[in-house]
Amino acid sequence: MNKENINKVKENIKLFLKAAFDIEDKSKVLIRKEAMDELDNFMLLCYGDLLGLPIPISYYTLEILPYIADDLEGWERRILNRKSVVNDRWGDFCC
Amino acid sequence: MNKFVFFGGKGGVGKTTSSAAYGYNCAKKGMKTLVVSTDPAHSLCDIFETTIGSEIKKLKENLYALEIDPEKESIKYINRIKTNMKKTVSPVIISEIEKQLDAASVSPGSEESAIFDKLVEIINEYGNEFDKVVFDTAPTGHTLRLLSLPELLGGWLDRLIEKRQKALKLLEMSNRKDKDEIMKDPVIEILSNRKKKLEKAREILIDRNMISFVFVLNAERLPIEETKKAVNVLEKYKIPVNDLVVNKILPDSISDDFWRARKELEDKYLQEILKTFKDKEIIKIPLLNSDVRANHIEVISQFF
Repeated sequence: MNKENINKVKENIKLFLKAAFDIEDKSKVLIRKEAMDELDNFMLLCYGDLLGLPIPISYYTLEILPYIADDLEGWERRILNRKSVVNDRWGDFCC
Repeated sequence: MNKFVFFGGKGGVGKTTSSAAYGYNCAKKGMKTLVVSTDPAHSLCDIFETTIGSEIKKLKENLYALEIDPEKESIKYINRIKTNMKKTVSPVIISEIEKQLDAASVSPGSEESAIFDKLVEIINEYGNEFDKVVFDTAPTGHTLRLLSLPELLGGWLDRLIEKRQKALKLLEMSNRKDKDEIMKDPVIEILSNRKKKLEKAREILIDRNMISFVFVLNAERLPIEETKKAVNVLEKYKIPVNDLVVNKILPDSISDDFWRARKELEDKYLQEILKTFKDKEIIKIPLLNSDVRANHIEVISQFF
């Protein structure tokens, strides 16, 4: 077996192990999903009135609108795609 | 009474008259007095028979008046956001947000939030300038909601801050954001600032040495019932009610049968008021033989 082949086998074993046992990466995806869920819920609490849910604090959440504006469109699309505002979540659409 | 005096009560019992007369009386005694109307349907200007706007207007020596215009206030607020946002947001999104801001400014809750903000601003800014600030509020339900706003909104803000922090923390764990970025997240900063402002307002509203709440009622069944409920609610929110104004009391010199029957009924209700609100100071104002106009304010002011 020449050196090139050995390196190839080594590389493949590495890849196999990474795919089989890389717990860290997987947990990161889970955490990210959870974070996106939280952000979606945060948006719902801030701008539920855009969907017709009365939010007592909507007057004051206008102040943070400029900082969240970039996410707003995606959020509205996601939330409108759900059958209800509480069933499916961000994770089910993005990953 | 304390520095900030709120006049509340059922519709049509004479809150505006009482607050105007009380303000007049204070001004006459040499205190620099500001009378503020927080009722979106203003009638302060009608009592003084002049125009009063959203700027402080001098009516006479030591007497100033102001009518809060919720629409103007919310437009001011929205415009401030619009100016701020030009620094942070890309021009593409600006027009989209502007639409949303304009839609939100006419939503139901924003009017009372605007009034509340202005109220807090007046307490903070003019508190030092004036010796006495008299608030003529809208009928009971509105006022109670206005005064319980800090409690209600405080809870919401807590939840929002909590949620945002949790989400950012999770993002940090998944290496999507740096720690620094999370520490100075503008959203959390804005929410916390708002919370601080609300807490400050709340502190003033429950301060027994700063605020007096005066209920105006008539010697009739419905205003008495409403006052009982309102006093209970206010005390639940720890807002003290020390004085009651019983307005439109019939004169003793009545000969007509119909009015004598009314007078007897009124006496009965007066007794009930005295019994129910034993611990409060009760100010009685008689019914005048004509409509309240600017020149009658002085007559009524003698009863305070």
